[in-house]
Amino acid sequence: MTTDAPTSGQSDLAVELRNIDKAFYGVKANDDVSFRLARGEVHALLGENGAGKSTLCSILAGLYRPDAGEMFLHGVPTAFKSPKDALASGVGMIYQHFRLVANLTVAENIALGHPDTGIRLDQKKLQTEAAELGDRYGLPIDPAARIWQLSVGEQQRVEILKLLYRNADVLILDEPTAVLTPQESKQLFTTMRQMADEGRSVIFVSHKLQEVKEVSDNVTVLRHGRNVGGVATADAQTEDLARMMVGRELVLPTRTDTTEAGSVVLAVSGLRVQGDRGLEAVSGVSFEVRAGEIVGIAGVSGNGQRELALGLNGLKTPTAGRVFIGNFDVTEASVLSHMYAGMSYVPQNRLGVGLAPGLTTEENLALKAFRKPPYSRGSRLLPSAFRSEGARQIEEYDIRGVRPGLPIRLLSGGNLQKALIAREVEMEPKVLVLHSPTRGLDVGATQAVRNQALAERARGVGVLLISEDLDELLALSDRLLVLYEGQVVGQMNAEDATAERLGLLMAGEREDGRR
Amino acid sequence: MTRRLIVEPRGLASARLRILVPVLSVLAALVVGGLFLAITGENPLDVYGKMLDAAFGSANGVSNTLISATPLILTGVAAALAFKMLVWNIGGEGQFIMGAVFASGIAIWLGPGAPSWVAIPAVIVAGGVGGAVWASVAAVPRVYLGTNEIITTLMLNFIALSFMNFLIFGSSSPWRDPAVSTFPSGRPIPDTAKLPEFFKRLDIGIFIAIALAVAAWWLIGKTRWGFAVRVVGDSAATARYAGIRVSKKILVVFLLSGAAAGFAGALYVAGPVGALDPRSLDLGLGFTGIIVAALAGLHLLAVIPIAILMGALNNAGPALQSIGVPAATVTMLQGAILIFAVAGEFFIRHRIRLPRREPVSVEMPDGVEPA
Repeated sequence: MTTDAPTSGQSDLAVELRNIDKAFYGVKANDDVSFRLARGEVHALLGENGAGKSTLCSILAGLYRPDAGEMFLHGVPTAFKSPKDALASGVGMIYQHFRLVANLTVAENIALGHPDTGIRLDQKKLQTEAAELGDRYGLPIDPAARIWQLSVGEQQRVEILKLLYRNADVLILDEPTAVLTPQESKQLFTTMRQMADEGRSVIFVSHKLQEVKEVSDNVTVLRHGRNVGGVATADAQTEDLARMMVGRELVLPTRTDTTEAGSVVLAVSGLRVQGDRGLEAVSGVSFEVRAGEIVGIAGVSGNGQRELALGLNGLKTPTAGRVFIGNFDVTEASVLSHMYAGMSYVPQNRLGVGLAPGLTTEENLALKAFRKPPYSRGSRLLPSAFRSEGARQIEEYDIRGVRPGLPIRLLSGGNLQKALIAREVEMEPKVLVLHSPTRGLDVGATQAVRNQALAERARGVGVLLISEDLDELLALSDRLLVLYEGQVVGQMNAEDATAERLGLLMAGEREDGRR
Repeated sequence: MTRRLIVEPRGLASARLRILVPVLSVLAALVVGGLFLAITGENPLDVYGKMLDAAFGSANGVSNTLISATPLILTGVAAALAFKMLVWNIGGEGQFIMGAVFASGIAIWLGPGAPSWVAIPAVIVAGGVGGAVWASVAAVPRVYLGTNEIITTLMLNFIALSFMNFLIFGSSSPWRDPAVSTFPSGRPIPDTAKLPEFFKRLDIGIFIAIALAVAAWWLIGKTRWGFAVRVVGDSAATARYAGIRVSKKILVVFLLSGAAAGFAGALYVAGPVGALDPRSLDLGLGFTGIIVAALAGLHLLAVIPIAILMGALNNAGPALQSIGVPAATVTMLQGAILIFAVAGEFFIRHRIRLPRREPVSVEMPDGVEPA
């Protein structure tokens, strides 16, 4: 093992956590968790959402203080007061939501908060240093670019460079591949291996078994806040890891039949939609969705998916092209007209767009149907209908954790999504647009959501599934489109689709050889 | 490491806590106020006793307290309605004044010939319209151009005040009393336009104010339109997504907020003041409404008892002066109550606890020297 990483102390362990307890609102996020991280290893932390992975990492990175337990850094007992404190000791974390200043350049972001950064910045020197660092670790980046100009994958590189610039020798990456294409993930894995080979230690948080198998030396599995075991990756079978992670056999529903699709329920031709900055985000997209089929839209986020969904729902008026729901031209119609024409939409942002966080579950379930009986009669609301309809849907869609009168934001992510889908399905739509419907959900909730999508398909609804999760797209879709820079760059039947083929298209490789 | 307090967000505050915190806020303010009184050589208990007596100890006291509370109920409703929608209408003061201008204007224009059943409703409606019109000056640019309503409503307060002063002091407008030439004052409105008094000097304005507060509560809480408004107030993006026309809702609520403050102006002119009298109307009742709304937790019914409490405090001022305590004591107490109530919000949202065990053990394992 090489030791040119900046470390001190004698222990071969970079980090040791002993018997860590941490509770939020009386719920134990970490329960007596012990964890050892050796120097020069990539250590995967595997677990479902809510298993306590992020909490454990945040404790290690100084963001949270444990309620109980001990922490050793290079064999020395340590208690971090803050993330800054942790970083000064060489422990840095890359969070799922990046901590970058959008208006500053890459080089400025890297220097920001660095102890050696004075009042005046030597832009030239900074940019040279940033570029050199990037080249060394296979993280090519334009140091003069501003953050908002970068793709999500590039922003992540900046985050990694920030830590390397501070010479961090323990790097924690919290679900770093969630936002990357398969190719970008591969690139990241190479970088992770390189950092480990230099003697740095990398914690790789994930719930994707394939990736864990691919990149890590050792795996620690968390479940319900407890450490349920650690193994050397080479000795572990994927199936065993899955069982450890969920505590039971892992079966996700997939589309099994290939029924004939019915008539066209959503027809889009030459659609152009502007993004928030006034730049065109959807540039002439055409496709059809038929009754009883699931059409998947693959693509790295930021390639026009959001604007496409908004354009289809009347939340952004298209600048060109037409949208038909059934026989109705809804291109310039209001959101309400889209709804009444048979459009249901499960947006990517559940709490804050799909659901009103401060209203109760019952109120949220009535958020679209409140204008008509049974929820209201004339201009009066009927609270009894909110209660009875709410109770029925909560039961029928298995929404758990609802306490009467309390805001919906207290529900878990999976139950929020169940409530959101329940409401959209109850509208009995012709077209159902699902945007990243299982992102961030645990296996149980993912199962429920996928079943719901398949049930709607069986009922003759045309489903448009916009997702970055290739496994999900491949498992559910009848047909697939790939969106790249606002255009459909590939179309295929599910039978012809592979993750590799989709990944290349998502990264902008044209199948006809042009770029 | 010493034991340290842990501050953490509380998932949800119990109903008991939501009532307890404002009550404790008032008590804490009284304690702090008492300290200041003690420093100035007064016996706090005596002073508080005197205040309580002045506010509630006699029929006159109760009547005066409720007279003071009447406009505060409505300016409180005005602020609570707007703030619920995250519309920061702090122009209640100006909307109150314009309500008073419109109300007295219509009363004077109708003259003594109009019967009460015409004049009184006309005066009240005119007040609401005046407040709404004044609010629209800030509301329309806010909704369609995105201007900052905090700044515009605040500035409109000064314009409204100057306009009222101009009507009385700077011109020979119909609002000015032509009979008095020594010091300019407002022309008394006809008796037919005045609200009937029923208990000492207390008029039926108190019932109108309470009825309007209840109506606002019903509108927001019990109607289809109100449901849409609550969705907008909770999350505008969600409302837009659910097909609710957000701009229109915000505009209407902003205007209703202005109307509520305008109603307050009308009731004050048609009640205790009886004329567009700048000295009686420039009391900051619109601003106090913001305090009332904040203390009531923006609850449209809770505004009523809070307004009565504030009315009682306002009323105690003159009584204190009679025993040689500065009337500003009341202002100080109001300020202290607000500060404690705002600080109390922190305790509604957070829990503070002293853990039994140390958060991080720093016991040294064998053979390791402390760093």
